[in-house]
Amino acid sequence: MHIFDIDILLPDLWAILGAVPRTLVMALTIFIFSTIIGSLFALIEQRRMPVLREFVLSYKVAFKGMPMVVVVFLAYYGLPIAFQFLADLVGLKVNAHRMPNEVTLILALIACVATFQAEVVKGALNSFDTGQADAAYSLGYKNSQLLRRVLLPQVVVAAIPDLANSFMVIMKALSLGFAIEVVDIFAQSQLTAALNYYYLQAFLIAVVIYMVLAYLVTRLADRTERALRVW
Amino acid sequence: MNPFSMIPELLTAMPLTLAIMFVAIIVGFCFALAAATFRVRRLPVVSQLADLYVSYARSVPVALQLFVAFYGLPVLVGLFGVKDFLSPTLAAMVALSLYHGGYLSEVIRPAYLAVDRGQHDAADSLGYTFRQKIRRIVGPQAVHIALPGYGNAIIYLIHNVALVMYIGAADVMATAHLIMERDYNQYQFETYLVLAVIYSLMCLIAWLIVRAFETRASKPVARTSPVKVPLMANV
Repeated sequence: MHIFDIDILLPDLWAILGAVPRTLVMALTIFIFSTIIGSLFALIEQRRMPVLREFVLSYKVAFKGMPMVVVVFLAYYGLPIAFQFLADLVGLKVNAHRMPNEVTLILALIACVATFQAEVVKGALNSFDTGQADAAYSLGYKNSQLLRRVLLPQVVVAAIPDLANSFMVIMKALSLGFAIEVVDIFAQSQLTAALNYYYLQAFLIAVVIYMVLAYLVTRLADRTERALRVW
Repeated sequence: MNPFSMIPELLTAMPLTLAIMFVAIIVGFCFALAAATFRVRRLPVVSQLADLYVSYARSVPVALQLFVAFYGLPVLVGLFGVKDFLSPTLAAMVALSLYHGGYLSEVIRPAYLAVDRGQHDAADSLGYTFRQKIRRIVGPQAVHIALPGYGNAIIYLIHNVALVMYIGAADVMATAHLIMERDYNQYQFETYLVLAVIYSLMCLIAWLIVRAFETRASKPVARTSPVKVPLMANV
């Protein structure tokens, strides 16, 4: 059997590893922005803000029902037109159709993942014991002090496992980008395979890379959690 | 063009999508039970293999899992000297069963462990075998705990069936691509909107079914509350 020929595996491995930094950067961008938007959603739901709350609810229903592939394609065909319309409205002279596909993919995934991040943040906020807030107020803490010294340190730590999970989900979701010509780990393995026709080998290398990355992310999350957890 | 006119044609591919889905639901459930059992019982080599399988199913993108099955199965079948009989549909069924099983085992195992420790101990002290313990004591309670997570798993399975077109299975998405190309790619956005509605409806139906089971299952055992599962997408 010549399936696992080292002369093929090694160059393939280097080629596919080349896509890892790019994938991580895109994943991190999506992670940060979706967490911010998700936190806003969670805040809106917790404070029960009148009109915004209904908006968040319908947004969530819409984005949880659609498969991410469909969202990515909708963004691919819809966003340039929408941006062009907006640019024309303000009188900007840009060609929105030349927007890089990476931006489309990142925006689409931010929109999808924000709903899940809202869920994560909400869960973390629910784990916070309100008695501590009462205690802080009785000690004369201001709202900002409560947030910074009591709430955030606990909520962030409580959310770490779920956040690590969503980072992995984002990294996997980037694989949908190959349909719109964004090259992440998965797309790179396809491109590499198409050069020498050793498809299975390239895909297995990508599998190993994904599993190692998942392992590293979980380990990192565990360590951070243990280092930060004081109670 | 009226976007509703393409719905009948899209629905002609629905049986294939549903077939892949149901095969994955049934076979995946068996895989999940096996993997969860091995991991819970900590059998020496088998449980490590189950660990590896679950982390494969959970940390590798489904699109990649589909391709691995598509290119790997013929090789695997060839090792046994069988002639290659695999179609993209069959590869999709295998890949999605594996994926669903791995995801589901991480729903079943925490549910099993979430059943009150005392219940496990009581069953063990009464001399129940593992199978009796599962059937009579832990199982019924774990079902109640696991149902919300199961609903999520089904919804993500429905979403991921949309990816089988990449390996050439002629499902709803692939039919949509055919329709778009026939219309000279003029109505892509509209077509994807229709697809979004179709998939959302499928998810809604699945969710309603699972919720009906949830309200039924919660009657006899109301003591243990369902595990709060973060509704996290899986692609």
